[in-house]
Amino acid sequence: MKPERSWKLAADALVWLLLLTMPFWIGAVGGYIQLGTLVVVMALAATALNFLIGFTGIMSFGHAAFFGLGGYGAGLTIKYLVPNTLLGMAVGVVTAIVAAAIIGKLIVHLRGIYFAMVTIAFGQIFYFIAFRWNNVTGGDDGLSNWHRMPIHLGFINIDILDSAVTFYYFVLFFFALSLAAMAWALRSPFGRTLLAIRENERRARYLGIPVDNHIWLSWLISCTFAGLAGTLYVLLNNFADPHQLHWEQSGEFVIMAVLGGMRSFWGPLVGATIFIVLQNYVSSMTENWMSFIGLFFVVIVLFFPDGVLGILRKA
Amino acid sequence: MSLLEVENVTKRFGSLLAVDSVSMSVDSGELRAVIGPNGAGKTTFFNLISGFVRPDAGRIVLDGHDVTGLSPARRVWRGLARTFQITEVFPRLTVGENLQIPVEVAAGFRLRIGLSGAERLKVRERADELLEWSGLARNVGRAVGELSHGDQRTVEIMMALALNPRLLLLDEPTAGMGERETYEIAQLIRRLHREKGLAIVLIEHDMRLVLRMADRVMVLDRGAVLANGAPAEIVANEMVQAAYLGKAIA
Amino acid sequence: MTELILYNVFNGLIIGAFYALMALGLSLILNLSGVINFAHGGFLAFGAYFAYSLAPYFGFWGALAAAPVLTALLGFLVERLLIRRLYGRDPLYSLLLTFGLAFMLQDGARIVWGSETLPFSVPGSLNNALSAEYFFLTGYRVFMVALATATVAALFAVLRWTRIGMRIRAGVVDLETVSALGVNIGRLRSFNFALGIFLAGLAGVLAAGMLGLQPTIGNDLIMPSFVAIIIGGLGSLPGTLVGGLLIGVASGVTTVFFPSASEAVIYVLMALVLLVRPRGLFGEEGRQ
Repeated sequence: MKPERSWKLAADALVWLLLLTMPFWIGAVGGYIQLGTLVVVMALAATALNFLIGFTGIMSFGHAAFFGLGGYGAGLTIKYLVPNTLLGMAVGVVTAIVAAAIIGKLIVHLRGIYFAMVTIAFGQIFYFIAFRWNNVTGGDDGLSNWHRMPIHLGFINIDILDSAVTFYYFVLFFFALSLAAMAWALRSPFGRTLLAIRENERRARYLGIPVDNHIWLSWLISCTFAGLAGTLYVLLNNFADPHQLHWEQSGEFVIMAVLGGMRSFWGPLVGATIFIVLQNYVSSMTENWMSFIGLFFVVIVLFFPDGVLGILRKA
Repeated sequence: MSLLEVENVTKRFGSLLAVDSVSMSVDSGELRAVIGPNGAGKTTFFNLISGFVRPDAGRIVLDGHDVTGLSPARRVWRGLARTFQITEVFPRLTVGENLQIPVEVAAGFRLRIGLSGAERLKVRERADELLEWSGLARNVGRAVGELSHGDQRTVEIMMALALNPRLLLLDEPTAGMGERETYEIAQLIRRLHREKGLAIVLIEHDMRLVLRMADRVMVLDRGAVLANGAPAEIVANEMVQAAYLGKAIA
Repeated sequence: MTELILYNVFNGLIIGAFYALMALGLSLILNLSGVINFAHGGFLAFGAYFAYSLAPYFGFWGALAAAPVLTALLGFLVERLLIRRLYGRDPLYSLLLTFGLAFMLQDGARIVWGSETLPFSVPGSLNNALSAEYFFLTGYRVFMVALATATVAALFAVLRWTRIGMRIRAGVVDLETVSALGVNIGRLRSFNFALGIFLAGLAGVLAAGMLGLQPTIGNDLIMPSFVAIIIGGLGSLPGTLVGGLLIGVASGVTTVFFPSASEAVIYVLMALVLLVRPRGLFGEEGRQ
């Protein structure tokens, strides 16, 4: 086995080991389980986004829309329809897929900054709906007075409601499934066509790859998993709020991907960890945390555009 | 019936008449050169045939099918492949990966999430075949961007070949190359012509290549066809000489 | 009823004028440098706050004249020190940079001037209604529309008839050639950026008089500015202008019939335009 490959396997194993044992060491480093769960949820969203921006080379700045749609879909289902966690998640994800499919068709022929602008604008549409539709979504106050339901699967009961640890493993399960799916897709012939599109769109086109079609598919996959992350997010907080849909949230996902390293599959996880921890820390220390976050963005972009893993790769 | 029939295609850009009612007919297995002074519309002509732009008038028929309205990707499916004046490859990917992609697309796997063992073997064998044939095998793990200009061009041509085309369009394949590399690419093209039985249309400035390889030559000047015929005739043609303003041909 | 509609159309025009001012500044920067300036709203806020701080010394009119210039200066500094480094790179990075800047500017305003709404007084002379019949035609509002119109006209004049304006227009089409002709494109970009920020600063001063002054004052205006550019067509300044006015008026008229949908209509229009005419109303063909 080439040395490079054994390094990769070791890294993979280490990451999974850390993830699997998180509840046991998180306290020792000054954190708490829900923070770890939050990191995993955001890492899922950022990884989903990176499928599109890092591996297909398409700049989307509106992923919060699908993150939020997933979340509101789940929350609204549980609150108003059927208090069932898995059903709520399913509805949330389906909502995200349908929205992504439609919006994708409208915008897939655009490129570059124009595409980015349009994704931002579409994202804001949903923010605006959640904000305005008070009676249903709770408006600015958010969707509250509901909570995730324990799961009864006939033969087992999974208490994700009262046990933070159980809920963490529940989230980790979906995280693992999603990442496996995305990794598989990227290593497949289809995944290679996405790389081709990223590397040289014109050449991809002249190799017989229907570029717009493939971009739409990549977009769909990316938004679906962002939606899934959104459902997990609201379940974590037992709360949905419009900010999840705001372009600020989208920006945070992008910075997580950039910070960790867009060319690496684990990049977004690394980026999410650093960002969430930092954000948590800074906002508890000072009320000027927004300036710091902004400064952080600026510094990363100017001095560490390849991200943590990108730097490590070169070393 | 010919493989490619270009019937009176015309293309305007604003007030510029880039291609003026040009017709061309290419037979299977033929190697046709398209020459002309700079700005004659040769690349635009290729762009019309390959689908990069739509003609304002005229038709393009490939293998009996009217492809005038088809997208570039669709034309590839119909058996057309092309290379560009500035080499278009995937510079950050390895040579192996650059070839694997068109092989997979040509095999119909572009949407596949997984391949069976047999399918993977088939892709592997085809890619290896291409690598061996072209002499690129020694570079299989290197990023294409790191290769010499000549090798990059070879990769590009092999990517086009990987698509199993009936017709290959090569836009100034030896542009910017020195003697040695020009010779190597010329050899490659000749082998393509002889061993693979492809129809090739070649835009070239290097007259020696044209004279030695082409079955027929078409001369474009200011968007229109100036002359059409065997290489020797074209060289002797006074109008052609004039168009090149006395450039040494022989 | 007609008076109500007129009132809302006029209101819509005012809002449209704002959107247009903002959007034109954004568009200028986008067209020449390919940068989506997320921080535009932040510069707008600074324009307003600068005016607020200058007013006690120079009066309203002095502040109105000076604040946009100061803001443009700030923009110039930002461009030179930060944005300039990202021109060769993937546009994603400049997007993230301005995103971070937006945070810094908004919070910066809060740190310096506090988060409470500050009073911004407009000269009494402007506050009177100009007509008994059309009460909504207060001096200030008419003044705003007039000033916005004059500014836009001046902008187009500068672009059309001055040398630097022509260079900007040429640069939008083909920056390489402009550079080859000996024009210092670094300076051109800086100037262009500052010009765009000037417009944001001006919009800020005008907005303060109407909306009240708080750090988030720019936030509500940035999205409609985006939409105005998308509707008008990327690369087209007249398109941006039309886009801004269109969504302003559409928004104003919708308020009469469906008050809660007045913000949504902007996005509905955008989706319609993307469907029917994907390159925008005045967009260029094949612009990607």
